[in-house]
Amino acid sequence: MSALRLISNRTSQQALSDSDYTWDYEYYEYGPVSFEGLKAHKYSIVIGFWVGLAVFVIFMFFVLTLLTKTGAPHQDNAELSEKRFRMNSFVADFGRPLESERIFSHQMAEESQSLFHFCINEVDHMNKEKESQKGPSLESNTHFQEVPKSSGMFEEDLRCLTKFNIPNFVNTEQTSSLGEDDLLISEPPIILENKLVMKSSHRILD
Amino acid sequence: ENISDFSVNITDCTQVVVPEEVFFTVAAAGILENLLILIAVVRNKNLHLPMYFFICSLAISDMLGSLYKTLENIFIILCKMGYLTRHGDFEKKLDDAMDSMFILSLLGSIFSLLAIAADRYITIFYALRYHNIMTLRRALVILAIIWAFCAGSSIAIALFSYEAATVIPFTILFPLMMFFILCLYVHMFLLARSHARKIASLPSSTVHHRTNMKGAITLTIFLGVFLCCWAPFVLHILLARFCPHNPYCACYMSIFHVNGTLIMCNAIINPMIFAFRSPELRSTFKKMFYCSR
Repeated sequence: MSALRLISNRTSQQALSDSDYTWDYEYYEYGPVSFEGLKAHKYSIVIGFWVGLAVFVIFMFFVLTLLTKTGAPHQDNAELSEKRFRMNSFVADFGRPLESERIFSHQMAEESQSLFHFCINEVDHMNKEKESQKGPSLESNTHFQEVPKSSGMFEEDLRCLTKFNIPNFVNTEQTSSLGEDDLLISEPPIILENKLVMKSSHRILD
Repeated sequence: ENISDFSVNITDCTQVVVPEEVFFTVAAAGILENLLILIAVVRNKNLHLPMYFFICSLAISDMLGSLYKTLENIFIILCKMGYLTRHGDFEKKLDDAMDSMFILSLLGSIFSLLAIAADRYITIFYALRYHNIMTLRRALVILAIIWAFCAGSSIAIALFSYEAATVIPFTILFPLMMFFILCLYVHMFLLARSHARKIASLPSSTVHHRTNMKGAITLTIFLGVFLCCWAPFVLHILLARFCPHNPYCACYMSIFHVNGTLIMCNAIINPMIFAFRSPELRSTFKKMFYCSR
């Protein structure tokens, strides 16, 4: 408000020499502003600005929703079927029925959460750091904070995660834990990172 | 007091006045809400994380904005009642100080939003190394740098007048930051979408469409609210600098109080879309309120 006042005072001093100005808080006097002969409506800037802003926001929303639908259906199916094929090959090694995929995709949220918690607690315990008092919370951002800060943490993460055998965790809902005979190859940490990333991105955006 | 000599034309754009009760209610709500967040983060040790520090920084800048408006209104009331003169030096200095507080609030808001977006970006794209990249100390250093820069530039803008050289960078900074934040969030959004697709084994995609619709709505709300609350004021500054005598511009500038109220509404809405989404923070509030009973 007073910023405006200063602006008007200075410009007027530069532009006009004989205008009346006051340090007035109630209303602004910009000198003789003639309102005659206006071609358009006097509030046209106001209306135009707000309409433009609304159009921009709606446009942004539509662009974002369009992003959800891009990727043609055939592309989508190809991607999905490829992933399913890979998962099937995983699963086939352990003789699991294929339908369990659906169940796991729904439950993966909770399971990966609790798995990650378990992993974190394990690492905490291993390093004998100070315990975080928080119980299992669903705050995925803080998951990353619970892991103790040390320079070799990344490798420890990998060890921890490989130990817990993330892809196999999928199977434990129906079978008992499979122990150490896992199919861990170089992929799991990446898969885990993707899953974690997915979790946290959903957490943030939902 | 001098009143300008020309007769008030009926078609003049008179100042749109926001009732003072509305003004003070909105300002008080904003200040209280943000203060609550600060107290909650300080009291709960589990919330001493970079993410919450950035949210606190946003809360502080919102509080400053509401505080500025409240103080200014009090100032006006005191002037009306005659306790303060309008032409004194003290009032001018006070006025300058309040101006710089307001610009500090705006810059602080923009940079806090940027920091929050960058923090979330690192969380998603550098997930396993996040705790190494964004340590607590680094977060505090980043916040110190941001606030030092904002304080310096707000004092510079308030003191060294409103030449075009200061107004233009100020008004360019605003859309630039918005665009950058939008890019960060869109990239995160795209990744979330592709991951949702990868895990959804159902051929019918209604489930993840709904999820991604929610993401689109959230993103739109984040940026739409900030734009709608701050852009009117930024346009006002531009018009005041470049066309104060144009009748169209003058009519736009007559709704200045509404713009100010919008900025205070932003202070109320921001905690809802950033802070209150965190379950930990909500549970801290519940504990605070139940303990006080």
